[in-house]
Amino acid sequence: MLDFRWDLLAEYGPFFVKGTVLTIGLSIAGILIGTVFGLLIGLGKMMKNKYFSLPAKWYIAFFRGTPFMVQILLIHFAVIPPIFGGTNSIAAAIVALSLNSAAYIAEIFRAGIQSIDRGQMEASRSLGMNHMQSMVYVILPQAVKRMIPPLGNQFIVLIKDSSLAALVAAPELMYWGQVMQGQYYRVWEPYLAVAAIYLVLTLSLSFLLSRLESRLSTE
Amino acid sequence: MGGCNVKIKTITSILVVSLIFILVACGTSDKSKVSSSNENGKKTLRVVTNAAYAPFVYMDKGEIVGFDVEFISAVAKEAGYDVKVEHVGWEPLFVEVKGKTADIGIGAITINDERKQTYDFSAAYFLSVNEILVPEGSPIKSATDLKDKVVAVSNGTTGQSAIESLYGKNNSKLKKFKDNNLAIMELKKGGADAVVADNTVVEEYVKNNPKDNLMVIADDTAFDKEFYGILFAKDSKLKDEFDQALKKMLDNGEYANLYEKWFDYKPDLEGLKE
Amino acid sequence: MIEVKNLKKSFGNHVVLKDINVMVKPKEVVVVIGPSGSGKSTFLRCINLLETITGGQVLIEGVDITDKKTNINSVRMEVGMVFQQFNLFPHKTVIENIMLAPTKVRKVSAEKARDKGMELLKKVGLTEKANAYPDSLSGGQKQRVAIARSLAMTPKIMLFDEPTSALDPEMVGEVLEVMKQLAKEGMTMVVVTHEMGFAKEVGDRVIFMDDGLVVEKNIPRELFDNPQQERTKSFLSKIL
Repeated sequence: MLDFRWDLLAEYGPFFVKGTVLTIGLSIAGILIGTVFGLLIGLGKMMKNKYFSLPAKWYIAFFRGTPFMVQILLIHFAVIPPIFGGTNSIAAAIVALSLNSAAYIAEIFRAGIQSIDRGQMEASRSLGMNHMQSMVYVILPQAVKRMIPPLGNQFIVLIKDSSLAALVAAPELMYWGQVMQGQYYRVWEPYLAVAAIYLVLTLSLSFLLSRLESRLSTE
Repeated sequence: MGGCNVKIKTITSILVVSLIFILVACGTSDKSKVSSSNENGKKTLRVVTNAAYAPFVYMDKGEIVGFDVEFISAVAKEAGYDVKVEHVGWEPLFVEVKGKTADIGIGAITINDERKQTYDFSAAYFLSVNEILVPEGSPIKSATDLKDKVVAVSNGTTGQSAIESLYGKNNSKLKKFKDNNLAIMELKKGGADAVVADNTVVEEYVKNNPKDNLMVIADDTAFDKEFYGILFAKDSKLKDEFDQALKKMLDNGEYANLYEKWFDYKPDLEGLKE
Repeated sequence: MIEVKNLKKSFGNHVVLKDINVMVKPKEVVVVIGPSGSGKSTFLRCINLLETITGGQVLIEGVDITDKKTNINSVRMEVGMVFQQFNLFPHKTVIENIMLAPTKVRKVSAEKARDKGMELLKKVGLTEKANAYPDSLSGGQKQRVAIARSLAMTPKIMLFDEPTSALDPEMVGEVLEVMKQLAKEGMTMVVVTHEMGFAKEVGDRVIFMDDGLVVEKNIPRELFDNPQQERTKSFLSKIL
């Protein structure tokens, strides 16, 4: 560890910046799409109608139960090409991150809603509000507050999982770490730098989420 | 209370059992020992590799085999050493050699000036030429046609440096994959116009997968020759001994025999000695 | 006003209500008493379909709420309910709790809903708590807010499901006082309670339920002083 080559890091600095930008982009896209999709899947799973709940259950089982690495390979080589007429590593990374996190978010969402006391729904319904109104005005505002800590956890996992996009050559942060490693055959300079950047990203996200959480709880 | 005790006992025994498994698993690899002497006085060197690059070094039913494996045993024998080859993975290979927890690293490692800043290499023991893999009927006929085309390579390989020396380092048309298989899959799925990789890799692939309708283009004028070397820590005393042993093998024909055993053609010995 | 005919309810194999027949007339206060597990809460919850009904009919102002064509939400607008556990919305202030349903269901303007809400808070004696969150209220205060919240929908009928059972003894009085006031104003009420004093004083009729059946119903004085059934006698002797 004594001979840490800062000069090599300086050389790769611009690439790490580019990679970080893409990593942030992939993460934000994954978080947004994954959240919307996760809400839908979570709702689907809670439905009494089997035609909605069963596919949702299978979906969650598949994406939670198989390695993300395999999912990203499948999506890159088998799902994206028929749609885009060729491979597109960034699209594949976004789709894979979104679909994977949606499975976890669906469960967070369901757990959040089911953690709200039954009496809340009953009181709301007894006042004449329909199921939708009760959800929107009574259940969800309370459930969202409880969902923030596990969601934050999930988002941090997602940021780190985006590094697997390097496998399909999406030029994100980990990709440039591996490229630098391949050029100089030095391990610690690229990977420690990359790790430090991931840490900054995840810490920033934690900070934002804890701000949001305290704001919601004082409301 | 009784139920509680049973629970604690169960958890404890699970912990103990898993700990035993971990210890056993660690014990079998025994990474910490570097070189050691055996009964007939010969030193056994610890050779680390990444066994994922056929035909140079790969796993065959759990055994590490390949041209590089046989070569390093032969050259070490010539230099008066025994070797123990271990698969440790690509990145750890460099950590171990640099940190001197291993004596030697091997596995189709290309010599270049950037890497020489950190490591010592033996003299070249393998000459590799890059070739271009394209779909049949591709307009690409030579390396100059690759300009502005998307090229997939395996990260850190000679194919990558070949393209970078032609069209600039880290240019955006170059897709670097973790291994050649992924790069070739990208080509097949239309995500790249060509793959540039070692001749052994692409020729082996085309031979084994005729249905993929891929073809190989050689371009001796455009691609620099690439040399594989044995990896040592900086200022390793082993370097000179291995260089001499290698020279002997090249001269007495032992190297050529080994080469022909693994590859279908004769080695370019003159090119190697350059 | 409320007509319950041959009402049956079971949870799986467990039969809770066997065959209930009850009539509640306008402005009448009916008090339901009985041992726990007798089915009295379930009976009450069937009246606004918080429980799905297994058999029989419930008619509210002549509308059969068990009919699938009936819009249950519009029925519930006319039937207020007060719960043992208050069930205030913890993320909303007291006044927001009261305003929510009128603005969302009856589409009353926020301004009007607020005025009406403040009026109701005055009635239950909690104007100063309008902007407090439910967490900062005592049990008795919470239940008074819950009553105000139900009244905000101007229901024709009010159902009370053991409204004082979760309260500390010293807070029971303030809630009962509000309920008495309501009764005096002519609200039609069905009250499940263990407060026999309230039953005697306010109830027009008392129904004694046991084991999923109505065992006895009568005016309070008769039922308490001169019970006809053995089960009624033994229940009353235990609690009085």
